[in-house]
Amino acid sequence: MPSSNPLPPKENALFKRILRCYEHKQYKNGIKFAKQILSNPKFSEHGETLAMKGLTLNCLGRKEEAYDHVRRGLRNDLQSHVCWHVYGLLQRSDKKYDEAIKCYRNALKWDKDNIQILRDLSLLQIQMRDLEGYKDTRYQLFMLRPTQRASWIGFAISYHLLKDYETALKILDTFRNSPMICYDYEHSELLLYQNMVIQESGECEQALKHLDKYSDQICDKVTVKETYGKLRLQLKQYAEAVQVYKELLNINPENTTYYARLAEAERHTKPEETLAMLQRYEDLFPRALAPRRLQLNYAIGDEFKILVDRYLRRGLHKGVPPLFVNLRSLYNDQQKVDTIQSLVLEYKEALKAHGHFSDQEKDNPREPASALLWTYYYLAQHYDHLGLTEKALNEIDAAIEHTPTLIELFVTKGRIYKHAGNVQEAYKWLDEAQGLDTADRYINSKCAKYMLRANLIKEAEETCGKFTREGVLAMENLNEMQCMWIQTEAANAYKRLGKYGEALKKCHEVDRVDFNNIYLQHFSEIIEDQFDFHTYCMRKMTLRSYVGLLRLEDVLRAHPFYFKAAKCAVEVYLRLHDEPLPDPTQAQEIDTDHLPLSVGSHVLFEKDTFTF
Amino acid sequence: MSLCICETYRSKIELGDVTPHNIKQLKLLNQVVFPVSYNEKFYKDVLEAGELAKLAYYNDIVVGAVCCRVDTSENSRRLYIMTLGCLYPYRRLGIGTVMVQHVLNYVYKDGNFDSIFLHVQISNEGAIDFYKKFGFEIVETKEHYYKRIEPADAHVLQKTLRPKTNQTNNQQNNQ
Repeated sequence: MPSSNPLPPKENALFKRILRCYEHKQYKNGIKFAKQILSNPKFSEHGETLAMKGLTLNCLGRKEEAYDHVRRGLRNDLQSHVCWHVYGLLQRSDKKYDEAIKCYRNALKWDKDNIQILRDLSLLQIQMRDLEGYKDTRYQLFMLRPTQRASWIGFAISYHLLKDYETALKILDTFRNSPMICYDYEHSELLLYQNMVIQESGECEQALKHLDKYSDQICDKVTVKETYGKLRLQLKQYAEAVQVYKELLNINPENTTYYARLAEAERHTKPEETLAMLQRYEDLFPRALAPRRLQLNYAIGDEFKILVDRYLRRGLHKGVPPLFVNLRSLYNDQQKVDTIQSLVLEYKEALKAHGHFSDQEKDNPREPASALLWTYYYLAQHYDHLGLTEKALNEIDAAIEHTPTLIELFVTKGRIYKHAGNVQEAYKWLDEAQGLDTADRYINSKCAKYMLRANLIKEAEETCGKFTREGVLAMENLNEMQCMWIQTEAANAYKRLGKYGEALKKCHEVDRVDFNNIYLQHFSEIIEDQFDFHTYCMRKMTLRSYVGLLRLEDVLRAHPFYFKAAKCAVEVYLRLHDEPLPDPTQAQEIDTDHLPLSVGSHVLFEKDTFTF
Repeated sequence: MSLCICETYRSKIELGDVTPHNIKQLKLLNQVVFPVSYNEKFYKDVLEAGELAKLAYYNDIVVGAVCCRVDTSENSRRLYIMTLGCLYPYRRLGIGTVMVQHVLNYVYKDGNFDSIFLHVQISNEGAIDFYKKFGFEIVETKEHYYKRIEPADAHVLQKTLRPKTNQTNNQQNNQ
């Protein structure tokens, strides 16, 4: 690759050593060799050497000098692909992807078949979802290196993402028949990926044929069956679909979607049919929970009463703490709520009187002593859900009286107060619960959250500190671990306290706004992390997951965490717009370092406004 | 309706360690079970007591606890049961037996104890009968043993492990 300004052999050897040092992360040595070349007056302005020195400086954290050197190098040698490539890498390291893409393109002008540059360009293009550009680059890479597996796969994926299924499939077919595929699991994954592409093209018939042909070569047998089931249903081949879902349920009778699909395949028109089907499965798998629970969704009236009675007794007898949560989805049916309530109240009276669930069973052995406790616990949650705070508190107090050592009771008591709007009392009960088992991080976190709801930010930090890494501030550690709920809750607490600067700071930890690039700290990090997968997944041939990842990242900011943080920030900005702060120097609560200067007149997320 | 649960079901009783993480559960339990309260020193020692302090779990819920210490007064080595108690709704389910059995196993395994002893309020017939089942006997009655509860007298219950005449020493309180 000729440069416009070639170095003589001795210097050229030094230059090669700079490259090697860069690749091996020996930056100090790299700089030493660069100086050796540049100290010669004849080459003191040698473009490529300056550029490489700059790139090396960047790795040592000397960004300004880096830009200076790289730009100077480029000016001195505008026709060097090395200088352009280096400039691109520098921009990329600053996350200026658009600029980096331009640089790579310029580099390719001077060396159009440079594999390394093409590869780097393709990564940026897929990252930025420049799908057309990606396809072109992958095409070039494919033409240059047709014997490499990644060339074929990248090429096929680029067409798949552009929804050109036909071309993608042709490439995959040709690739599969080439001798490049060797071992079984990769081949199996590739077949499943190919099937996914066929399905997305809408050709269910073809997908089915493909599966028939290759199913014995695919390792993931459950996925094969699930795909069969899905395709059979789409093709309205109901008898076959029934068979597939029956087989799947034999493998896993706890999968609720299988039951729904089986009902669809059996073409039920009335809930009674589904109920009968579930009852058959309960007989078949007496230990399975799913068919028993699902029956409650379909049964009504007396039948529901018999079923839910059995279900509740089983849960209360055994002591299943999430029993209420498990049944909560039934609560949109008032009749079912009434049935449950009358049953559980009946249990309570009978258990209190003689230790059985009903008066008719007095001759049977008594229920365990904990059954009454779980009955109180259930009723407390039941009433709380219905908004009957007083009754809920009565039940939970009865439970605490019965067994004051059960931590869940205090959590529930706190939750009842929270639902009733008493954040102070709520946090006190959570703190009590937390003290009873300081090794339980779930309760510790809940307690911190309740403290934040009560605006006790310092206390919350201390509570969390029991579990964060020692020697680091709790909040810093939590931020590092991308613990978003606490940042959002803290932001809202600061907002309620009128500490708007702190609130915004917390929001932007979740949702960070930079100088000229709107990006979100945690969310942008997650998007950044994709970079590793562009190469990794192609190497490992986990293409279904890779495409899944790309699609997830495309809608990442639809996540509720993002929404909550953004909402809090919007509210603070609006508030600051409506009532600008009188004078920031007087309002000591406000962190002036972190407050944008001209909040008032700008819309949230407008470029160049916020300097977090 | 014949909806009885037909599984044969045995409740699970287990013992667990007292740790700095769950010590508050022990405090809460003792507060509810015993009419006397114990000071910080008591709980500090309990944390060092190892197998001599245990929480009892019934179906994974803490419902009882036993705390002992080694007593070396009067030229003998004796195990003193400071507290042994169970929440009211969980009594007569075998939890106390599991705790006493644990203590007995401990002293047998050790092989170097002369006796086990404890104090019981004279009115607490249930407790007296309970310990008699395990071979404890009333060896002494102390007047005004308790300061703030009525009756204030306590029996000393003792189970002799080695044939050796020894007398009990007036020490801590016990239910």
